[in-house]
Amino acid sequence: MSIEINTEKCTRCKACIKACPFDAIKIEGERLQISEWCTRCAACISSCKFGAIEIKKDVRIVDALSDYKGVWVLVEHKKGKIAPITFELLGAGRRLADELKVSVSTIVIGDEIQTYAQTLIAYGSDEVYLIEDPSLKDYNDELYCAVMTQLIREKKPEIILIGATANGRSLAPRIASRFNTGLTADCTGLEIDPDKKILIQTRPAFGGNLMASIICPHHRPQMATIRPRVMKPMMPDESREGKVIRPNVNIPKQTSVKTLGFLDSFQDGLNLAEADIILSAGKGLGKPENLELLKQLAQILGATIGASRAIVDAGWIDSCYQIGQTGKTVAPKFYFAFGISGAIQHLAGMSTSDIIIAVNKDKDAPIFKIANYGIVGDAVEVISAMIQCFAKKQNHRL
Amino acid sequence: MSMQGKYIQRFSEEYEDYLKDESRMIGEADSISFPKTEESLRAILFELKNHQSKITVQGARTGITGGAIPKGGHVLNLSRMNKVKGFRYDPKSKNYFLTVQPGVLLSELRQMISDKDFDTEDWSKESLATLKRFRKDQEYFFPPDPTEASASIGGMVSNNASGARTFRYGPTRNYIEGLRIFLADGDSFLLRRGENKANGRTFVIQTDQGRILSGEIPSYAMPDVKNASGYYAKKNMDLVDLFIGSEGTLGIITEVEIKLIPKPAFFCGMTVFAPNEDIALHFICRIRECAFRPAAIEYFNADALVLLKEQKRKNAAFSTLLEMPFDSREAVYVEYHGEEEEVIQGILQAGEIFVSCGGNEADTWLALNSQGMEQLHFFRHAVPEAVNLTIDERRRKEAGLTKLGTDMAVPDAMLEDVMHLYRTTLRETGVESVIFGHIGNNHVHVNILPRNMEDYIKGKALYGKWAEAVLKMGGTVSAEHGIGKMKISLLKKMIGEKGIEEMKGIKRTFDPEWRLNIGNLFEIE
Amino acid sequence: MDIIVCVKQVPDTQEVKIDPRTNTIVREGVSSVLNPFDAYAVEEALRIRDRFGGKVIAISMGIQKASKMLKEILALGVDDAVLLSDRVFAGADTLATAYTLALGIQKIGKYDLILCGKQAIDGDTAQVGPSLAEKLNIPHITYASKIEKLESRWIRVRRLVDDGYEIVEASLPAVITVEKGLNVPRLPSLKTFKAAQKKGVKIWNHQDILADPSCTGLNGSPTQVIKTFVPQYGKSVEILEGTMTQQVEKLFHKLSEEGFLFE
Repeated sequence: MSIEINTEKCTRCKACIKACPFDAIKIEGERLQISEWCTRCAACISSCKFGAIEIKKDVRIVDALSDYKGVWVLVEHKKGKIAPITFELLGAGRRLADELKVSVSTIVIGDEIQTYAQTLIAYGSDEVYLIEDPSLKDYNDELYCAVMTQLIREKKPEIILIGATANGRSLAPRIASRFNTGLTADCTGLEIDPDKKILIQTRPAFGGNLMASIICPHHRPQMATIRPRVMKPMMPDESREGKVIRPNVNIPKQTSVKTLGFLDSFQDGLNLAEADIILSAGKGLGKPENLELLKQLAQILGATIGASRAIVDAGWIDSCYQIGQTGKTVAPKFYFAFGISGAIQHLAGMSTSDIIIAVNKDKDAPIFKIANYGIVGDAVEVISAMIQCFAKKQNHRL
Repeated sequence: MSMQGKYIQRFSEEYEDYLKDESRMIGEADSISFPKTEESLRAILFELKNHQSKITVQGARTGITGGAIPKGGHVLNLSRMNKVKGFRYDPKSKNYFLTVQPGVLLSELRQMISDKDFDTEDWSKESLATLKRFRKDQEYFFPPDPTEASASIGGMVSNNASGARTFRYGPTRNYIEGLRIFLADGDSFLLRRGENKANGRTFVIQTDQGRILSGEIPSYAMPDVKNASGYYAKKNMDLVDLFIGSEGTLGIITEVEIKLIPKPAFFCGMTVFAPNEDIALHFICRIRECAFRPAAIEYFNADALVLLKEQKRKNAAFSTLLEMPFDSREAVYVEYHGEEEEVIQGILQAGEIFVSCGGNEADTWLALNSQGMEQLHFFRHAVPEAVNLTIDERRRKEAGLTKLGTDMAVPDAMLEDVMHLYRTTLRETGVESVIFGHIGNNHVHVNILPRNMEDYIKGKALYGKWAEAVLKMGGTVSAEHGIGKMKISLLKKMIGEKGIEEMKGIKRTFDPEWRLNIGNLFEIE
Repeated sequence: MDIIVCVKQVPDTQEVKIDPRTNTIVREGVSSVLNPFDAYAVEEALRIRDRFGGKVIAISMGIQKASKMLKEILALGVDDAVLLSDRVFAGADTLATAYTLALGIQKIGKYDLILCGKQAIDGDTAQVGPSLAEKLNIPHITYASKIEKLESRWIRVRRLVDDGYEIVEASLPAVITVEKGLNVPRLPSLKTFKAAQKKGVKIWNHQDILADPSCTGLNGSPTQVIKTFVPQYGKSVEILEGTMTQQVEKLFHKLSEEGFLFE
């Protein structure tokens, strides 16, 4: 058994039995036993007031951990521009590196990317690794993984931060699996343990109902994907200095995966993760036809439409609009939630928005708990009133 | 005449929605109020009495016969009287009883019951103790299941709502233990099942102000089918039943005590696709005779399936409908409740019957968990939705068109006759239609989808013809939707002038000034 | 075309609630369900089989009780079901899960395509699919929202990315993780349900799949949860009052102060 209950410390208060979401703790005679249903979610460890529950495991240490040094950030870029997530990762990476007293390196894989180096240095990178080749122009799991593998083997970073974007979440597990190291998905918090000097990664667990802090104590590199719009970028400093390095790597000539093209089929043409104003719709809109009204408002405000899981599941709107734990994570300046009750899964995807405006019939809806402003009322009525009000304001200005 | 006061608002544009319900009729009104308590309701009623204002009582406005449409005067909207007031347990019957205000929605009520979580503000000690017991007890539920779960409890009582599961559990009436009634003049009384009964055909009620009201129960015989047409009338009947299904014409319901019964351990559903109507009907007649009785038997004819296939193709909201078997013609949905083993046996037996009727085992959908059940319910509910969408589309070209939906039921023995009648007359007339609904209770909804006014007129004529035939078969003109403002002439056909006069007698007992829900059940004179 | 579908039994996280007094998960009444994303993977596999022939095998790692879920999947018409269940598998993170699944899949042997849901709703990591592909040394494509074309040696899918769709091709065998909505998962028919009653779920332990226990379960998991806590969203809401128009006017005013501009 690998999670163990220390019988001397245990007072049999049964708090852990209540806390276990999987019914995995049983009383056997005088003792508490942990059964195979355990998923090591650690809910019991946090519930125990007596420190009686411990994780014990046999560890195989593959490499000397102290050989691994430095924080890496994988640069994400598209259509000739560095994606905002990169600067967020750099902000976080800088903070971690300063605590560890090590350097921050950025890895840029692509084609025609040399102009990125100075910007990355300004945003906090000490070293910029440029891996440039026409075959690397578009993101490719296989090629990017091959490049990263060679670099990691040679340079041995202790921490690698990758954006929890579609591509980042596809690439990171492939790399972690290759190195048999740990990877924590979708982190919203990163800290350094002051004593052990290891990375503490915090992420939503259990459908967003709980937050879990996770470490990777015995394997390197420590890898994490980070949610967009959670970490704060540094103010760029053009006078910062850094090194630009062009490492020698082998780029495979043949690949078994190829990207043939890109369909920009989202009508809004906007990336939800980068939108400043999002108008999100839930079941409270009553029927799919009412989405038209919301689109009208979005047009007036220059906003992007989002959706709750409920209306995506009901087929009102494509799943690419879904915001929440199983959809997209957003953090716009203004987030309007129309007729969304605010299930924890939804909150997990938008709670870091700057200003949240909730409109719901039910004054007790959980969405109001995280909103800055609330209107208790029918979502459709409110949307209509907003269209009228905003349209009037517009006319005044004309 | 228009009023304004502490509780009463002058009617203005912002209240426009309250002139409408799901019937797509539009009414008119001078004032509106949204009381939250009996005290404010009483104050409103006194004020209205001074002006002799007519009053239309509203709940969630989900009715489709116009029962909540105001015909001038005041709109008394009870949606904000939506508290759960108390809870009791009866150890003898092992049932729980919840006292709720009329504005509580069915969907909310279901959620509260399944979460075992209520707003207990102002609850008595006894109620709180009952809740404690309830939380430890097994699961309970409130069986009535009208298709529209956003219906209010007050509305459900007012027209004795029913739904698919009525086949096994009966209509709302069976789960109402008590009602608190306000009369139009502000006087009130409480009725508890078993405590106020008619003596033969005469009844007496004493109000809270001490007035004695007496009257005569109508003499017409109610059909021996599921029924929501006119006042409930039986010798020695319970007076609670007089108010259930009275469509707001006698009094205003301010509290309802509902009965919760133990929830079956296992639910299971199956939709079977039959190659033709004969096989479908044969299957239905045989499974409803089975000793292990289904909880619901629902029907979809070929036209309904074609309509769904078309909507699935065109409309995103229907894109998550299951893919129907390629050559399916007619479909029947059966649902079983009980212990897991008996339910599975029930389903397997239904499957055997289906095969012996000429069906194919592969052309079936089996729902063995809640997600599957949701899928099948979604499929069932998609039919009326698809009809409404189709009609809305056609109305854009021809504003006068409406759906013509029947709500008639016949006795068991007449099922095949009535289905034959629908099929042949529809074919002769050539109008578009779909047929679906609660066929276990011999209660299908024929929805005529007129393409133009000519179709509409033909449809109306058909409707009248069917009503006469159904009445001859011993059926009813409205089994669940109620009479409202749209089926008054049918009610007259059903119970005759004499029946209407007898009903008016009762109306006069409780609402002598004829002010409540004018236009429901009776023509406006 | 032989297809393996990876599935997981998960608590229905939609039903999960936090007890506000004790800050712990209320698990009463929370049922176990097939991970919703996996349902799309199973359906896609069945459709491919119905078109091209071959076999569909479902595989899962989990507790013995998960065989009930696999039984339900068999009832959909899946040809075979394998449950990897062993005490030493307990407590696996995504790496140890991928390792164990990979060995189970190698024991099954022949396959052209592996389908997974894009993520499981209890962990939401979306890591097992790519990690498994790496362990099997085959390519992967994540977030498939549509299979555009399937040939015996390659597959072309529409992949949902942050701001649109990509068309991506991979040689087979490959791991494809699927988004919701790429099909409508079927229900069992009486015929497939009855056929499944005669089938059993194969249950394999670590010896059956020749797994090294130090690489499975908690021991094989590099990551370790050190604490859990309930997220606190510390905002206090200002509910706007008045008629609808007044409320909207007030909101507009407040937002203007916060720098809300529109074109």
